Amino acid sequence: MLNDLLLTLPITIATVWVLVLILCEAFVHNANLTRWLTAIGFAGIIASIFLIPSPEGYAYGTMLRTGTFTNFSNFIFAVSGLLVVSISDKYLEEEEINFGEYYIILFISTIGMMLMGSAANLSVIFIGLETMSVALYTLAGMLRKDVRSNEAAMKYFLLGSFATGFFLYGIALIYGATGELALPRIAASLQTNGVSTLFWIGLSLLMIGFLFKVSAVPFHQWTPDVYEGSPTTAAAFMSTGSKAAAFSSLIIVLSNISIALPNNAVLQTAFAYIAVATMAVGNITALTQDNLKRMLAYSSIAHAGYMLVGIAAGSNEGYSGVLYYALIYTLMNVGAFGVIAVLERHRTLTNASDYAGLFKQHPLLAGLMAVFMFSLAGLPPFGGFVGKYKVFAAAVEADLTWLAIVGVLASVVSVYYYLRVVIFMFMRDPEPAPQANANATGSFALVAIAVIVFLMGIFPTEVLKLADNAMKVALK
Amino acid sequence: MNALALLLVMELGDRFALMGVVLGVLLTAVAYTVYAERRIAAFIQNRTGPDRVGFDLIPQLKFLKGAIGLGQPLADVIKLLMKEDVVPENANKFVHALAPLISLFAALTTIAVVPYAKGVAIADVNIGILYILAITSLGVYGITLSGWASNSKYSLLGGLRSSAQMISYELSMGLAVVSVVVLTNALNMGEIVESQTSNPLNWNVCRNLLGFIIFTTAAFAETNRAPFDLPEAEQELVGGYHTEYSSMKFALFFLAEYANMIVACTVIVTLFLGGYQVPFWTDAPWFVQVGAFITKTLFMMFVFIWVRWTLPRFKYNQLMDLGWKFMLPLGLFNLLIVASTIVIFGNSLPLSILNLVLVALCVAGSFAAKPQSKMA
Amino acid sequence: MNSLAYQIIFYLFAAIIVGSAALVVISKNIIHSAFGLLFTFFGVAAIYVYLNADFIAVTQIVVYVGGILVLLLFGVMLTNKITQADLKTETLNPVPGLLITLSVLAMLLYTFYFRAKWVTVPVDQQLRGTVVEPIGIATMTTYVLPFEIVSIVLMVALLGAAYIARADRKVQTKEGK
Repeated sequence: MLNDLLLTLPITIATVWVLVLILCEAFVHNANLTRWLTAIGFAGIIASIFLIPSPEGYAYGTMLRTGTFTNFSNFIFAVSGLLVVSISDKYLEEEEINFGEYYIILFISTIGMMLMGSAANLSVIFIGLETMSVALYTLAGMLRKDVRSNEAAMKYFLLGSFATGFFLYGIALIYGATGELALPRIAASLQTNGVSTLFWIGLSLLMIGFLFKVSAVPFHQWTPDVYEGSPTTAAAFMSTGSKAAAFSSLIIVLSNISIALPNNAVLQTAFAYIAVATMAVGNITALTQDNLKRMLAYSSIAHAGYMLVGIAAGSNEGYSGVLYYALIYTLMNVGAFGVIAVLERHRTLTNASDYAGLFKQHPLLAGLMAVFMFSLAGLPPFGGFVGKYKVFAAAVEADLTWLAIVGVLASVVSVYYYLRVVIFMFMRDPEPAPQANANATGSFALVAIAVIVFLMGIFPTEVLKLADNAMKVALK
Repeated sequence: MNALALLLVMELGDRFALMGVVLGVLLTAVAYTVYAERRIAAFIQNRTGPDRVGFDLIPQLKFLKGAIGLGQPLADVIKLLMKEDVVPENANKFVHALAPLISLFAALTTIAVVPYAKGVAIADVNIGILYILAITSLGVYGITLSGWASNSKYSLLGGLRSSAQMISYELSMGLAVVSVVVLTNALNMGEIVESQTSNPLNWNVCRNLLGFIIFTTAAFAETNRAPFDLPEAEQELVGGYHTEYSSMKFALFFLAEYANMIVACTVIVTLFLGGYQVPFWTDAPWFVQVGAFITKTLFMMFVFIWVRWTLPRFKYNQLMDLGWKFMLPLGLFNLLIVASTIVIFGNSLPLSILNLVLVALCVAGSFAAKPQSKMA
Repeated sequence: MNSLAYQIIFYLFAAIIVGSAALVVISKNIIHSAFGLLFTFFGVAAIYVYLNADFIAVTQIVVYVGGILVLLLFGVMLTNKITQADLKTETLNPVPGLLITLSVLAMLLYTFYFRAKWVTVPVDQQLRGTVVEPIGIATMTTYVLPFEIVSIVLMVALLGAAYIARADRKVQTKEGK
């Protein structure tokens, strides 16, 4: 047991630290202290991943997977959490919800993500998903007095519960078809007993649960309303961490099961079609959005589509591309939401036209936003380009060239709406200037993200190696 | 359907017979518990109580008249049945009629798993104690729904109070039950009784006095008896949840309330007072065991009535404070004590001593902390 | 008891479950829905008994019937006029909805009846008697991680509920306003 706790050190640290946070908030009632402690907790998780990386293997019987894949995914979640915490406090003060609970719930949500990203058993995936989702429902409703926020929380909660129902039913049917919950043993059972229709139905129901969480078409309708209604920083967290968690879980399930599926063309085709639909709907709808939060919501649907291209490829390359993409997407999307949070005032000043002439008033902010927009659009030399290149290349290798072409076309469409923001910022005359609302940590975090996004575009090899390595061992 | 019924009767004939006997005894006992309650109340309050009604129509029983009023319950029942059944204008008629039935159902089904003698129970369920917890949690529906369906604010308040109260006290009750399960290592009611042996020192009331106190207190609350009878506090709520009930439906509530009390007593006896075990007489014949069981139950019923006419009613906030801030932690603490003693010592003697000391400390502590509470 | 009686009782409970579940969805009165839910929970508990999972059955009743549904009723009763609310959404798509529902149902039924290879446990490995002890042991050994994590799920749900429901507080700022 002690050994298991050490093997899954990030989760252990997080679980213990949550208790510290709750006790601290309960007795001291100081949101700023809780914020710093949360940041320290995330930093501790990141440090533990680098200093004591877990060896390949299983922990708690076959409940959790340890090793490079887990290290990589845990790193994404912790980074997402840390960045969101560092851009949150000014925004929360402005919206008058600067309470310690925000940080605690965000931290607990990360525990759920880490469980999803290291699960080797369907029961753990489910419980991780629930931990993450319940926390996110609350985060969406953090602005208690705001009708839109209430609507976001309610919508997310109801639809999320519905999707969880599918997910659970899928698990039940898979259990009925194989008699196992542990993923390696499910694969073994499929290899000996063959794959039945029952299993396929169970798997599709399971996939519906995942596709809802990554907001893939046709399970995407909740995304714009929820991202728009939620506090901006919470939306940043939802769009990055939870998506990365759902994708890493999806990779775990698929990479385990694909061993036992002799001919996974069905799965590949299904994912390819979903990816096409997701990219198309996300990008085309984003064209008509004026509100930047809604625009980013549709763009996050589109990005889920790009990542699904990697999933459809179904190869090591594809999966490691998705991992890399999840990391870079986390960085640039938190950055973009962060800039919006700096400028937003009680749900105003979130339209693209409000950013007119931003460059003249706040050159740094405008420059940062431009970096994030270029990167989201997938233009070189930014990180987003490498991510897209990686997943599309994997699709080509997997004989899905048409899918890669669709992806490239979709990216071309997306350039329009990302660059529109840049054009407003740099080429329009300034309106009455929005007051920037940033503090030292927030600005530093944004600048750091921009630098990393830039660096990951120019020197991607090291991170790519890590991502490849993560997948190689996981797939064996 | 007839074939099915026939099959069931053939399979379970003796159990049906036992069920008939137990229900008959229970329902008669309810009638006479009401009578006993009135007599004991009168005694405590230095009055006479009902002493008029006898059995004048039956010549052989005429001598019972005048002295103790044993015919009173019969007269009460006839009176209730003859009354007009009033249903409020805007009540939800269906639920209004259903609620008393649910109450009675919950009260009467609990008794099924209680063993009356070695191996004699209507249903020998191997998770009997959990069954009791499950059925107890149903009882709240009768009261809540009656309160809602009557469409009267007094009823509604009574219903809400009672559901809050029952949910709150169910937790500490469950914890006391768990401590018993840990002690006896059984979920079957028969096994729980067997493990207490015929030595009274081995009865759970000695081994787990704290648990006994918690369970009994929670049982007072669960049965809505004084000092926890807030759902029907007449000074505040007219009649509480049964304000709008009359005639047979009221009689059903009345029946359920007293049946609940009797059943709670039998459960307390089974869990803590050695059930049917006869002190120092292992393997007593079944009728002696039944006798012992009934005696113990009667004693517990006397305690219930005694408490009702002795203690004043709690205020609502006191009730909630007691339930959540005192009983629940105490229940957890007791469970910890019981479990760790069993792990460390493995037998129950140190536990009995420890428990006595703890209870003494608790009593002393409560007196030291609130000297004014004696005034209440 | 012979198997015919078993079957009749089973189908009785199945009918109760389906009927009351339909009531939950169809009824316009929220109290009636809650009632329907009560019977659904009961029926499911009965099915658990049939599966020799007595502990699950009792837990189902204690948790769902005794806890969750009471709280639900509580909420309904304390909320003014909610019982008269007209529960009908503006967007109602009966035809596509019905089509999807029926096709999913047909697909599931077809699979269950004709294409499913349910995994069955050999007779000598089936659990006999009470399942409480095996469940307890499994919870504390194999499934100890999910079991412990559930407490975190409950904690975050509590935290969130408390945050959303609690009274207003003053906001803290760095200046300590």
